[in-house]
This record gives sequence, structure tokens and C-alpha cells, in this order.
Amino acid sequence: RMRRGGARRAAMAALLEHESQIFLDLFHSDGLVVCARGLGIDRLLLRFLRLYCEPASLVLVLNTSPAEEEYFIDQLRSEGVVHLPRRVTNEITNNIRYEFYTQGGVVFATSRILVVDFLTDRIPADLITGILVYKAHRLIESCQEAFILRLYRQKNKQGFIKAFTDNAVAFNTGFCHVERVMRNLFVKKLYLWPRFHITVNSFLEKHKPEVVEIHVSMTPRMLAIQTSILDILNACLRELKRYNPALEVEDLSLENAIGKPFDKTIRHYLDPLWHQLGAKTKSLVQDLKVLRTLLEYLTQYDCVTFLNLLESLKASEKAFGENSGWLFLDSSTSMFVNARARVYRTADDSLNEKRKVSENNDGKKENELKRELVLESNPKWEALREVLKEIENANKNSEDLGGPGQVLICASDDRACAQLKEYITVGAEAFLMRLYNKTFGKDEKAAEVWNKDRKAAKAKGSARPNTGPQAKKAKLKASSKENKNKKQQDRTLTQMIGKTEEENGEKELEVEEHQELSNSQESDTEETVPEDFRINLPSDSYYGIFKTPLTIIHPLQGCSDPYALTRVLQEVEPRYVVLYDAELSFVRQLEIYRASRPGKPLRQVEVYFLIYGGSTEEQRYLTSLRKEKEAFEKLIREKAGMVIPEEREGRDETNLDLVRDATPASFSTDTRKAGGQEQKSVQQTIVVDMREFRSELPSLLHRRGIDIEPVTLEVGDYILTPDICVERKSISDLIGSLNNGRLYTQCISMSRYYKRPILLIEFDPNKSFSLIPRGSLHPEISSNDVTSKLTLLTLHFPKLRILWCPSPHATAELFEELKQNHPQPNAETAMAVTADSEALPESDKYNPGPQDFLLKMPGVNTKNCRILMNHVKSIAELVTLSKDKLSEILGNSVSATQLFDFIHMTYSKAMSQGKNKR
Amino acid sequence: PVVPLLSPSCPLIVPLLSPIVTRQRGNPVLRFVRNVPWAFGDIVPDYVLGQSTCALFLSLRYHNLHPGYIHERLRSLGRSFALQLLLLQVDVKDPHQALKELAKICILADCTLILAWSAEEAGRYLETYKAYEQKPPDLLMEKMERDFLSRMTDCLTSVKSVNKTDTSSLLATFG
Repeated sequence: RMRRGGARRAAMAALLEHESQIFLDLFHSDGLVVCARGLGIDRLLLRFLRLYCEPASLVLVLNTSPAEEEYFIDQLRSEGVVHLPRRVTNEITNNIRYEFYTQGGVVFATSRILVVDFLTDRIPADLITGILVYKAHRLIESCQEAFILRLYRQKNKQGFIKAFTDNAVAFNTGFCHVERVMRNLFVKKLYLWPRFHITVNSFLEKHKPEVVEIHVSMTPRMLAIQTSILDILNACLRELKRYNPALEVEDLSLENAIGKPFDKTIRHYLDPLWHQLGAKTKSLVQDLKVLRTLLEYLTQYDCVTFLNLLESLKASEKAFGENSGWLFLDSSTSMFVNARARVYRTADDSLNEKRKVSENNDGKKENELKRELVLESNPKWEALREVLKEIENANKNSEDLGGPGQVLICASDDRACAQLKEYITVGAEAFLMRLYNKTFGKDEKAAEVWNKDRKAAKAKGSARPNTGPQAKKAKLKASSKENKNKKQQDRTLTQMIGKTEEENGEKELEVEEHQELSNSQESDTEETVPEDFRINLPSDSYYGIFKTPLTIIHPLQGCSDPYALTRVLQEVEPRYVVLYDAELSFVRQLEIYRASRPGKPLRQVEVYFLIYGGSTEEQRYLTSLRKEKEAFEKLIREKAGMVIPEEREGRDETNLDLVRDATPASFSTDTRKAGGQEQKSVQQTIVVDMREFRSELPSLLHRRGIDIEPVTLEVGDYILTPDICVERKSISDLIGSLNNGRLYTQCISMSRYYKRPILLIEFDPNKSFSLIPRGSLHPEISSNDVTSKLTLLTLHFPKLRILWCPSPHATAELFEELKQNHPQPNAETAMAVTADSEALPESDKYNPGPQDFLLKMPGVNTKNCRILMNHVKSIAELVTLSKDKLSEILGNSVSATQLFDFIHMTYSKAMSQGKNKR
Repeated sequence: PVVPLLSPSCPLIVPLLSPIVTRQRGNPVLRFVRNVPWAFGDIVPDYVLGQSTCALFLSLRYHNLHPGYIHERLRSLGRSFALQLLLLQVDVKDPHQALKELAKICILADCTLILAWSAEEAGRYLETYKAYEQKPPDLLMEKMERDFLSRMTDCLTSVKSVNKTDTSSLLATFG
């Protein structure tokens, strides 16, 4: 099997027409490749990896996740590559790091490790063949990779830099992103490969899979709910604009609001002023998120799940009193009515409908309990059943295609997949019934009524269209038995572990009967009722349904392995793919999958595309298509207008980005200086905590000619001199750490171990340079305000200095100036500073350990703590004191009682108290 | 935006008890000191905010016109208070260069730099320093659980080598 699998893979791995063109372009000249989502950026990277999997080269790969690395390694292994890529982790100790690198080949490394290794010369920078940057769009936000590449280019002028991304949309949100990313990557070339690229388009056109688009219509109630949600969304958006007139209107359209990236869009606009926003705006943003979830649930899941979400929203609204407002809109009422009507009809309603009987209160109450269950099925479920039937029929006459084809059903996430599996195996009614009992289980009567109805219907020979699973399953079973009589399936399936079809079927029957008998009880089974059979598929997130022909459901998103679906696609080689939910990148992947098997005309791929016509789901899909297209169009325009300096790649000494000098780059025209001949008398050094490398500051400091010593610091973020310790806080960090007590603790340790503790408040240069919004000051002093807390902090730490920096650039400049004429810090000393080390002699005449201990006890506060310590020699002495003595010392009998009781509480008493509380 | 009326050459105080008249009348910041009593007085800093806290007020616009002023003030102030604030009102468009210089000066002169972006905000800082003079730092500290077990755990884990599991076994053993 291995051999055959290998051959197949080798065939698959052959690059497609456009892929080899991308590969050759990038191979010959460094650059950034932006290709359409799902068009196979992973295949491209894989090709490069294979090229460099040899000891003679050393190639670093940035920005891959462990799961991705595993996928790439697996692929390479199956292609017979000997010298497989390796990973640098913390387990490879510092002293053997250098050797590790010199062994060559492809090395996956996290940015944090690489930064440190470059700074400390643990990596042979001059021996590096090149760096491959995956997910290059991340360089828009992250500074670490840019720092690594700069360190690399400073020491290595020959090696290559090649960058890959399939996220064109990321470049579309801001100004000149692509230009900046390219500058940080030190590349001159930008290769754009949208789906509408003529080469891609004409090639894929030749190998189109057969696509059957099925537009399913939503039920009238679903439509009504969708209309309500859209109404409310619109109302929220209007409110948002009203409160924030500065927001750009175009991006806050309803069309954008239903899309998944809307969260990002809105954050993009609101983040710069987030700490200044009013509570109303924040809750509106939250509401928008909730509403989008509701929209997703509506089309994604069943009526019970949807109603449950809705009811729980209402309940939490009541419980927490968070008034989001929209729950009181008319549309919201209509949404609730319709959502409930999808699940049940109260007897009350039906009575009123039939005959207008006036009832007394008692009768009403009773009737409210008697819910008549409706349990509306999902239209897509029915459509899916039709599709499966069609496939089944096709598979019956499939001799000329080489036997029945495998079926792959894709739904958005794990929950949707589990639901589909249960639907297919037990049928809509049983499934919904189980869900209903699980969520609204208390209502037994309704369940009984429903059950009776259902049995009656069955007895009648089922006049309903929805006959339940029995008939269908029989059919399926029959057909699969037929199939079995035909020749055995694909070789990989002969190794399946699990029960035979019949057993499986019987199991299902049992399960269903069990359900019927016990459905008034709370179901104790998990989401997936029938037992799963496991196949040796390279993914753990799939749901198997039938074994012959293999039919499995796989989620599109949310797998731990991002390539799980890709692996499954390669392994299963389905002839039929049912897209229960549409996702752009998988649709593209299917195109590539189809195109990469041109030699197998019999192995046609049929794609069924289920979508609710006129729904937000459809809209979302179309919007994502349009967004990507627009992003590419913008990139094409930007590329056309780009002026790229000759020295961009930094292969000689003329790229000013590589200059390490304190004078601003624009001033230093004397290029001879750049070589580093100009030596300062003392090399400036700053000790930096490793966690700080996510920010831009270390890179900027390094650029100013200051050496960075990366270590793990327990106290402080930056040590400028032996005396100066800096804790850096962005505005959001500042607010957060003032609230959760962290900053207070940090200030305590900083002042204990350093003469000059400094709090650096760093503003984002893209956000407004002010702490509180204009005109938002309350008339009274409020202890919740950040200004009040800052005041209190400085009152308690009079030695703490505060630096207010409008940008990391300003901080770097200031740091350099603060260091002037001061000795350099020592990394080892700084690292050794932990809560255990000796405090500064003059900082405190009290021993900090017991002080912390005392402060944690009830009745002790910062004021009486000193007094207590003056009177009591040790904690041992403290516990011997009487209550009276304590109140004499503390000068307060309430505190004294609290403290005394706390000290003299026995463990068993505390335990029993605790139990009573619970 | 508030235009600073007078040159901040006449200091003004918010004293503990006795209001004494002095120089800095008419500073718009004063209009926003409403929640604590204050009065003019004859003092070296611009504001005395408590026994050990004082403040100098500076408007960046003024500083740009008279860069020597703040040096003079700091020199005369000396180190007479434990907490000496430089309350700086950011009222110019491009404050960065001046800010950097003042930040350095503050470190050299043992001053704590506080920025305010309006007279109102500056006034609020003055009020708050006065009002919080005696306030314990509890507001800034981690919220403590009320029940015995979690407090005891907190207590014991403040000793460096003790973790939460240790705590429960300690308690169970020595309760």
C-alpha cells in the first residue's frame, strides 16, 4: 500500500501549469507571492521545502504552526525525502543550538527563538542559504519577523528571502501595507496570483469539476427570523454610526456586517480610540457580534439549537441586567415568536387559532404546559438526503466508472458535522426530539404528545413527507449490500477497523428504539449517538457514516490540524463532494484537486453545492469572493505604482534600513559609516525580556546601535542601566494591569530591586495620543477612572517615574538618551533578580516576605501593617497574641477580630463552612 | 481647547488646611478643582497636595516659549517633598520633542511626570491627589476572595516556595 500510495502522491505533487510558473518566478528572483485563497500556497511552499531538504543548504522557515509543520514533514516523508525538515524548540539547549543549525537542511523555527539566536550569534548567519516566510501577511502586524530578517540581512548578503501568503484581503484594510511588508522582507518583486489571473483561469477552466448548485429555500419562519435579525443589525449599525460619526460609513454596511471578518473591520476602526469609547458603543459592538452568531446559527444548525441560544441570551440578559436594547425592539419579538414556532406550538395558540375560546386563568396555565411540538426540520437536510439518494443511484450504475465512488460531505464546523451525522443515521425527527429533550427536557408532556403523534403517523403508513429514517435506511442498506457484492473497495479501505455494515445498521435501529422508549428522560448520550467507526484516515475530526461506499463528513474549519481536510481529500479521493456549507478556499482546493488528476478521466469529481437561496449565508459567500477580488485589484494597482529602490534587497551596503546608527536614517548620507567602522567608545547595551520581542521596540533599539541582550526577566521589561528598570505598558495593558493588580505587584518588585523604577506608558502612534477621551470626564472623582488609579499608584510609589511615549520610535530615542553617561546593565544580574533575591538595602527596613504574608490576612491593610510589624517580631509571635492585645496594636477591634478569627480558624471548621455555602 | 491665561509664574496651592494666597491666580485649571477645598498660599511649588506631595504646573505651549522657566522652578523646589509632580498640560500640536526633554529632566530632578490633555484633566489630577492622600492601595491590588480557604491559600502562597497544592496539603495536615 505504501508504495502505491507513494506513487499516487508523487503524481499529485507534480505542479500544475500555473504553479510551476509561480515556482520558477520565485525561484529565480526573491519576492512576495500573494495568491488566491485555496489556490495551493501550501503546495508551493512544499515544493521549495523539497528543494532544500539536503544537508548542504540551511533554510529557515518562519510563521508555520506545529500542525502545519507536521503536515509538511508528512508530505515530504511520503515523497521519499530523506533529510526531513527539523524544528528548533526550547528543548534543544543553547550550547548545541549552533551545531544543530550547522547540520543544515530545512529548519522550522519560531520567531522568538530565532530573534534570540540571531542576537546572541547562536546561529551561523553567514551559512544560511535562505529564509522562507510563510503567512507573510502577518508582517503587517508583527514586528518580530521583520527584526529577524534585518538581523539576517545585516550579516548575510547572499542568502535568499522568499515570502508566501494567500491572504490578499489582509493587505486591503490599511494604507500601503504591501509596500511596507515588502520593505520589511527586503524583497523587490511582488507576484500576484488571483483566481482571475489568465493563466490560472484558463487552466482551471479546462479541468472544471462538475458542479451542481442546489439553491434550497428557507422555510417561511426562517426567512422571517432572518429578516428580523437583519432589521436589528441595521438598527445597531445606525446607532453605532450615530454615536461615532467619524466612522467610515462604507465599511459599516449591512453587507459587511454579516461577514465573518466584520469583527476585524470594526476593530480596525474602533481600536485606535477603543480606550476612549463610551460604554454604549462597546455594547453595540458586542451586540453586533451576538447578532452575527444568531445569523450563523439560523442557517447552520437546527431549530432547537437556535431557540436555545435565543432563550439563553434572553435569560442572561435578565440575570446580568446588561441592557443591550435590541431585545426590546419589535423585530426581536417577532424573532422570538418565529423561533419558538419552529419548535413548538403552545396549546394556547392552537386553541386561539381554531376557535376563539375565552379561557379562565387556570385553564391557561395548564395549557401553557402542553406544548405541541412542531420541530421544524432543516430544508438543507432534505436537500442533502436528495443528493445522497442521487449519488446512491449513480453508484448503482457505476461499473464503467470503476465501481461506486466515495462521498465526502463538508460542513462548516464540528457541531454541524455531528448534527448531520446524527440526522443521516437516525433521521430528522428522532434527532430533533433528542435535542429537544436535552435542552428543554423538563417539558415531558409535550414530548409525550409528540411521541404519540409520531407513532400514529407511522401506523398510518406515514402520510407525511418526512417518513422518518426507517424506510430510508432500509433502502440504503439494500443498496450498500448490493455494492458489497460488487468488487471490493479502494485498497485503503480494506484496512478499516470497525463493525460491519449490518452491525452498524442494527446498532442504529437499537439506538433509535432506545430513543423512543426513553425520550422523556434526559438523554445521557453525547451529541453523536451512533457509535463511530474509525478508519485510518489522516484526520481525527471526521464522522464516518457508511463504509461502502465510504461516506464521511468532515468539518471545514476548527480542526486541530489545519490540513486535516486536505489530507482526507488526498486519502479518500472522493468522487462526490457535497458542500453542505460553502467556503471559498475549499471550493478552490477542489478545483485544484480536480485539476491535479487530469490523467484520470474516469475519476470525475462531482461537487454538490447546497446553499440557501437569498440568505445571508449566500451573501456572505459572495461577499468573500468579491472582497478577495477587490483586494487583488487594489494590489495590482499598488504594484503598478510602486517605486522600489535599487538597494531594497540589502545585498550591498546601501540599504539604509540595515544601518545601525543613532542618527535618523534620512540624515546619514555618508554610507561609509554604515559598515560599522565608527565605533563608540563603549558599546551600549540594554537587557530585554524575551516576551518583549513581539513589540517593535527591541528592533528599533537595535537599529539605533544599541545591543540587545535577550533574557527572561522576572522583574521589569527593559534594564537600561544597573539602576533603571522599565516596565512597558501599552494603553490597554495599563488599564488592564491597573485593574487586576498586576501593575501594583510589578511596581512593588521594581522598587524593591532597582533604584530607579520606571513605568513606560507607550501610546500607539496610530491611535490618539491621550489617555481619556475629550469631554468624558465625570463631574466627580471616580475610583474607576484610569487617571484616579494612576494617581493612587504614584502616591504609593513616589519613586516610580513615568514616561509617556507617543510611539516606539520616541521610546527608543528616549532610552538611548537616558543611558548616556551611565554604566551598562548586566544581563546576569538582571536575570538573577527574582522575588527571592535581596532587596535594596535602603528600600525597606522591613522584611518583604512576612510583609506580603501579613497583607494577605484579613484585617490587615497597608496602614496598620507597619504598626503591626513594629510591635510584633515574627509571625510566630503574632499567633500567640490575644484578641485584646491585637486590637490594642491595630487600634481597631473589628480588624483585630477579623485577624484573630482568621488565625484561629481550624481547618475542619473552614471545610464544613465551605460545604455549607455550597 | 483651553488657552492658558496666565504665565504659570505664580504658583498656587491646594493646601491641607490653611488656604494662603499667592501667585498663580487665573490659571484655568483652577476652574476645574471643584471637589476639594483649596486656597491661595505662599509656597515654593505651585500646588501643595498633601504633607508629602506637591506639584509644579507647566503648559507645553508656555514651555516652548520659555524653555528656561521649568529649570529655574525645579532648582528652587529642591527635594523637599517625597512625591514631586510635574503636571504637564499637552496643549501644542507636536509635543514629542519637548516631551522627551521634559521626561529626561524629570528623571534627573526626581519628579514624577503626569500628562494632562486639558485644563479639566489637569484639575482632576490635582483634586484626586488631594482626595487620595490617605487612600490605601487596595484599589490597585488583586481582588481577594472573601472566604477563609482562598485567603489562607493566598497567604501561604505569598511565601515563595509554596504553591497552591502545597497549601491544601499544609492545611489538611496542620489545620
